[in-house]
Amino acid sequence: MATLDLTGIYKQFGSVTAVHDVNFQVQDGEFMCILGPSGCGKSTLLRMVAGFEMPTSGDIRIDSESVTALSANRRPTAMVFQKYTLWPHMKVSENIAFGLQLRRLPRAVIEQKVKESLALVSLSGYEDRYPAQLSGGQQQRVALARALVLEPKILLLDEPFSSLDAILRVRLREELRRIQRRLKITAIFVTHDQEEALTLADRIAVMNAGHIEQLAAPSEIYASPSSLFVADFIGAMNLIPGTVSGGRLMLGALPVDAPAGLSDGPVTVAIRPEDLVVLDAPQASAWSMTVEQISDLGYYRRAILEMPGMQSLKIFLPKALEAQERGTLHVYARRYLVYRDGNAPQEVVRGLPVSAA
Amino acid sequence: MTTLQPASPVVPGFWAGTAASFRAMIRRNGFGLLALIVLILVILGPLYSVVLWAFAERWQYPSLIPQEFGFTFWERTFARADIAEALPFSIILSLVVTLLSAVICLPASYAFARMKFRGRQLLLLSFLATNAFPRFGLYISIAVIFFRLNLIGTVQGVILIQLVNTLLLMIWIPTAAFQGVDKALEEAALDVGASRLRVFMQITLPMVMPALSAALLLTFVNTFYEAQGALLIGLPRVVTMPVLMYSLINSQLIVQYGAIVSLVLWLPSLLLLIVAQRLLRGGYLTAGFGV
Ligand SMILES: Nc1ncnc2c1ncn2[C@@H]1O[C@H](COP(=O)(O)OP(=O)(O)OP(=O)(O)O)[C@@H](O)[C@H]1O
Ligand SMILES: [Mg+2]
Repeated sequence: MATLDLTGIYKQFGSVTAVHDVNFQVQDGEFMCILGPSGCGKSTLLRMVAGFEMPTSGDIRIDSESVTALSANRRPTAMVFQKYTLWPHMKVSENIAFGLQLRRLPRAVIEQKVKESLALVSLSGYEDRYPAQLSGGQQQRVALARALVLEPKILLLDEPFSSLDAILRVRLREELRRIQRRLKITAIFVTHDQEEALTLADRIAVMNAGHIEQLAAPSEIYASPSSLFVADFIGAMNLIPGTVSGGRLMLGALPVDAPAGLSDGPVTVAIRPEDLVVLDAPQASAWSMTVEQISDLGYYRRAILEMPGMQSLKIFLPKALEAQERGTLHVYARRYLVYRDGNAPQEVVRGLPVSAA
Repeated sequence: MTTLQPASPVVPGFWAGTAASFRAMIRRNGFGLLALIVLILVILGPLYSVVLWAFAERWQYPSLIPQEFGFTFWERTFARADIAEALPFSIILSLVVTLLSAVICLPASYAFARMKFRGRQLLLLSFLATNAFPRFGLYISIAVIFFRLNLIGTVQGVILIQLVNTLLLMIWIPTAAFQGVDKALEEAALDVGASRLRVFMQITLPMVMPALSAALLLTFVNTFYEAQGALLIGLPRVVTMPVLMYSLINSQLIVQYGAIVSLVLWLPSLLLLIVAQRLLRGGYLTAGFGV
């Protein structure tokens, strides 16, 4: 039961600005992901919430009370780190009990809580192992148990599964989501893996160069990325430079429908591969392009299409569709976003041409 | 051009064959074998004679072993007032110096390991410098200062001079050990609510314990054997075991005293070896660190 407020957070390391004017609120019980490329300041932001770094300026509030001046050991937060941080000289049970012992709980209560938290992460019976006797995935589960057993107001996770293999990573994040839902704990999860963010988060904060580019639900981030950076960073996207003159939008030599009221000048058009549909026959509003390359990805195929005077396009092909490399496809952009520097994108949605399949 | 040597000539006859294969072995392993023999002679030779002397009642040239064995000299040795006084004093002195050194050096080495400050490298190297050059120059200047401070011939003076000797070991080994402890492990402990002191005592310290015990033991043993500084600063009133040893060897014609005392002086070394071995094999070490 807790909310987290960040207002005007800056962090300076010497001449490097790691975090630049971050403002957001995490709701009670919300699972927020902070997503961004390496070095964009994700860890720094999380570490400021945990109390390991002091913000250069700004205020951090938990349940409306400022914790900015509190040291890490006084904050009602608990962190799961990217590295394995179980204490090697303590057994699993001692690792989990350590924080409880500091709170001077009776021994029987501690034992009970250790047991419950191990059960929560499906590691009952591992009490007497040493960390060196656990696999990486088990160690991170114990680390999660160690954090949860203290019933923190905010659970912080800094790429906790990034050093695990892909299959385990998926399994553990599903487990984490299940546990978080069950406990209704407010959580912030840092990752640079967009799939992880898209599957886990209630809301995603996309970070770039120290600031938040967009903060929204995964579906919204995917459907209408608020900036070119987000458009490029999340999912597959075709970004095509274009120009507007006299209300007409040209992509190279090809005219496309322009959003209303766009003044003259350069723009960038962003089209998701799945918004490009393949037509049976050439059409005035479709592009006839050469298939450069097809990659079979199992349940669908990804193709790269080319055309003189136009940059290559990524497109997804249904399995049923006949297509060969060097063949020609007629593609039609059903939906796209038009970006101009510093402005919110304008969306264009078009119906299929009448003779389409 | 390299000339091909013919293989060692095959001489008929058993002895000749054996000799040839022995020569071949010498040629292959000659250096190692020679080194081993020299090592045995150099190390065990004197030890052998010391042990024999310690238990000899009568041993006259040219016999290879004493004519008579016995314990009379042990009784006489420990009945001597100077030895009965110096031995416990030396042990307590070494304990005190080791403890003081730990109290002074451990926080310092933690700082060296965790903090980045100007002159860190230089300061670390300066501890090496005191050991890299003959100590005598250092001792002379220290003696001059101690003389002015009336520390010559006092226990405090000896403790101080011996502390100087422990600095290198007690700073360098723990610093390296502390550096080996990942900072994230300490942050994780802070995160669950531990104070800085508790993090140090319950997380960091136990993790560096093996290295730390080695440093403590080495310091104790080194201090116990230290004679130069103790001799210079301590005499005439403060006499440690090694210092007494000097005078026993120099002024006594009875060899047994020296032999028995040196046997006693080996005890800390043996202790060190045993403890070090147990530390390396100890269950808690291997379980905790996956060695
Ligand atoms: N203690 C520090 N001292 C100096 N600079 C730092 C420190 N910590 C982080 N930085 C810098 O701040 C910036 C943000 O680092 P941060 O670790 O927050 O990135 P990140 O988004 O977590 O990246 P990654 O995905 O690689 O973990 C980087 O440029 C980094 O070099
Ligand atoms: Mg990071």
